[in-house]
Amino acid sequence: MRPYLMLAPLLFVLCGLFGAALGLTLMRSFRYLPAVGLTEPDLSAYTAILTAPGFLESVALSVWIAVGSALLSAALALATALALRQAFVGRGILTGLIQVGLAVPHVVGAVGILYLFSQSGAFARMAFQAGLIDGPGAFPALTNDPYAVGIMLLYVWKEMPFITLILLASLQRIGPDHEAAARSLGATPWQAFAHVLLPMLMPSLLAATALVFAFAFGAYEVPLLLGAHAPEAVAVLAWRSHTDVDLAARPEAMAMAVVIAVIAGGMLVALAQLLGKAGWGGR
Amino acid sequence: MLRILAVVLLVAAPAEAQTTDDTLLSGTWDQIVAEAEGGTVNWFMWGGSDQINRYVSDHVAKRLLADYGITLNRIGVADAVEVVNMVLAEKEAGIDTGGAVDLIWINGENFRSMRQADLAFCGYTGVLPNNVLVNWENPAIANDFGVPVDGCEVPWNTVQFGFAHDSATLPEPPRSMAELLVWIKANPGRFTYPAPPDFTGSAFVRHVFIHAAGGPENLLGPFDQSKYDEVAAKTWTILNEIEPFLWREGRTYPTTLVQMNELFANGEVAFTFNYDPSQFGLAVDAGIFPPDTRSFGLSDGTLGNTNYTLIPFNATNKAAAMVLQNLLLSPEEQLEKAKPEVWGAAPAIDILRTSAEVQAAFAALPKHPSVVAASELAAFALPELQADWLTAIEAGWRAEIGR
Amino acid sequence: MKRDVLSALARLALALFLLMPLIPLAIWSVAHGWRFPALLPSELSLAAWSYALSPVSGVVGSLGLTFFIAAVTSVIATALAYPAGRALGRLRFPGRSVVLVLVLAPAVLPAIAVALGLQGLFLRMGWTGTIWGVVLAHLIPALPYPTLVLTAVFARFDPHHEDQARCLGARPLQVLLHVTLPAVLPGLRTGAVLAFLISWSQYLLTLSIGGGKVQTLPLLLFTFATSGRNDLTGAVAMIYVLPALAFMALLLRQRSKTAPLPNRTDR
Repeated sequence: MRPYLMLAPLLFVLCGLFGAALGLTLMRSFRYLPAVGLTEPDLSAYTAILTAPGFLESVALSVWIAVGSALLSAALALATALALRQAFVGRGILTGLIQVGLAVPHVVGAVGILYLFSQSGAFARMAFQAGLIDGPGAFPALTNDPYAVGIMLLYVWKEMPFITLILLASLQRIGPDHEAAARSLGATPWQAFAHVLLPMLMPSLLAATALVFAFAFGAYEVPLLLGAHAPEAVAVLAWRSHTDVDLAARPEAMAMAVVIAVIAGGMLVALAQLLGKAGWGGR
Repeated sequence: MLRILAVVLLVAAPAEAQTTDDTLLSGTWDQIVAEAEGGTVNWFMWGGSDQINRYVSDHVAKRLLADYGITLNRIGVADAVEVVNMVLAEKEAGIDTGGAVDLIWINGENFRSMRQADLAFCGYTGVLPNNVLVNWENPAIANDFGVPVDGCEVPWNTVQFGFAHDSATLPEPPRSMAELLVWIKANPGRFTYPAPPDFTGSAFVRHVFIHAAGGPENLLGPFDQSKYDEVAAKTWTILNEIEPFLWREGRTYPTTLVQMNELFANGEVAFTFNYDPSQFGLAVDAGIFPPDTRSFGLSDGTLGNTNYTLIPFNATNKAAAMVLQNLLLSPEEQLEKAKPEVWGAAPAIDILRTSAEVQAAFAALPKHPSVVAASELAAFALPELQADWLTAIEAGWRAEIGR
Repeated sequence: MKRDVLSALARLALALFLLMPLIPLAIWSVAHGWRFPALLPSELSLAAWSYALSPVSGVVGSLGLTFFIAAVTSVIATALAYPAGRALGRLRFPGRSVVLVLVLAPAVLPAIAVALGLQGLFLRMGWTGTIWGVVLAHLIPALPYPTLVLTAVFARFDPHHEDQARCLGARPLQVLLHVTLPAVLPGLRTGAVLAFLISWSQYLLTLSIGGGKVQTLPLLLFTFATSGRNDLTGAVAMIYVLPALAFMALLLRQRSKTAPLPNRTDR
């Protein structure tokens, strides 16, 4: 009984707020809400969004953003974390700077990316002054662009430090002994990394990457600031339908939110499976 | 699970509160002022301009408190549609009194939505003493994008669409829609417009639509599908023809007016436009636009409209909101916000109905060099189409051009 | 030698990359007119700062509000996470993995999936537009972080110290204050900081639950960022970032005293 009592306050809040909110979203997406007289659940909101032009493109764009941001952040974070293991002048400053990234909200970072990478931004100006381009139009379109480069730049900037910090914590726990043992048995540095260190880092790397994927997939304010006019990220589309003054669009917004939750939830389940295999689940 | 939730939701109905709407509609102005005293008005309005914010939070709020003992709480939002949605959500949740919103700065499609969903408090405007200054005979005041105002909102400003160019790099801009379309093809990459449903981008597309129809005469009145089909086909042809000559070859459109302003400020495109040309002056003063920015209307006319303030049906402080509306309509406040250094917004009252001193003060207002004179624009004014046309044109644009 | 130079350059590039987006924001906050192709503003001005710090703009009040909401969210989240983390970290019981997934879910499921339903729920409760409503909403994405951190901390915590203290006659409160809390303090602090930052940066949940009446800094910043006032956006962004940086620096300074990062080389 004791563990459940200790968990009760947390579970009460989680189920009461999070569970109820998800439940309501689900109910409304099936157009079921007895309070306003809707007692016959149906799937019309889902058929409407799936057949609407542009919805699948939006989902595809969001998947592209999430996969790209997660993989790029993970690769950069791995390199950074490994580099930060070595002692060098300014290592403390660099570690501090990585933590700075955590404290900067997404909205702020997104505006910064806009000022840097837009076609009239800081880099375009430098390119112009260096004689590389003859005007803003000649600079590649990196923000508000159809390939979402600007959105991914922001996520890589923002989430790379997050994954790095998690990896640094893991590295600290793992310690240098395993690698050293492998090296003393004749493994090359690459072999020691790939066959000894990387598998040990994998659970935290996967968990952090999955979190980044899920966040980038469902975020709203960043694609709103940095995205192109079409297609829109699926969260932007959902919020737009939700704030549509046509009430008929509400269940469709809820259905989109459910689709987002299902895809992100799929990541959670896949992650739990992977971690379970790695022996993390049932301590 | 679902059942429990449903029960919870039914039980949690909002508390009752007494309504005083009848006194507001039939009482005297003094009664209303007395009831309003000590109240707070939550005024939701677009919050992106520091000058407008300053005028409201500093000047208007101080007067409201000093003269009437009413506290003004300005709540800046990124888009008025958010507020409409809030009121709608409240109505849906059964909150018929004690709503969060007391006053909204609004017009056009948002007003139509509020009317359609019965979200506006109506029928009280005649009670406001300054209502006599409003020329309700003027169809551009009595109709908000073709939707009759019907005493559901109070005019605040009148605006007319204007174009801006940098006279240092483009001394002689095209002056009609036909010339502009030729200019766009001759100057690839130097023009664009925000993708509808952006308010301003949508208005630009309507200018093209009216041009394609050969004038606004056939488009006035209720929505006509066959007329729409005919003109829309021509409009999409024109817009598809210019698309390859637009900024980024028309593959991307700016999503907002602000993005286009940024393009104009940095010389990426040669024009920007605005439904409120006083914004050009504010942008030059803020260092955003080049100092040689000048603005103009089209010789075949530009669209004009009026923006209003509206009280939601479930507002908590209706009396205080009415007192604020009356203050905003007063000759002194209409004059104050017309000053270019304050805002530069054109009045919504009929100047001829004010005192000789106020008329003289309006005539003596300095002109901002970057802002085209309202009288110059008014010589070529187009009436705004009804809201149903707007919706159809926006949907059509997204299907035919903005895919 | 050449390798050293290369890796030093790589570190410098990393440092620049981490600071990069903040630089143009800082410059914009004092710029009056900064158009293409100028590398630096044509004119400097403190107008944006003076507006941002004036009572009219509401930025300072909003800063206090944002800080208050984040602090309260962080305290509640950490308080709820403490017993839960202890149970999850130390005890085995049926349903433990289900609880873990449930705890992780709000961190993984995007805010929009929660925001839409939560708005409907809170509207009916009359909690929208209130600070407490916003705090409750922020708890959802904030809770997983302290819970997971404390789960990991308690998994490594050795309860024998507590037993020893009890054997020596310490009362439960004394055990908690003098044995348990000091041992888990770094984890407690990390979890609280993470919960604070989640609330501090929250946009969508504040917008949907606060309904515009609870104007936290991200909402204010968004309004300026979408209205083209780069100078105001820059000033508000600086005001938004600086306290969070100071707060983090303070906490991390303390943490590095108690639990230093590894300070050794591998070769």
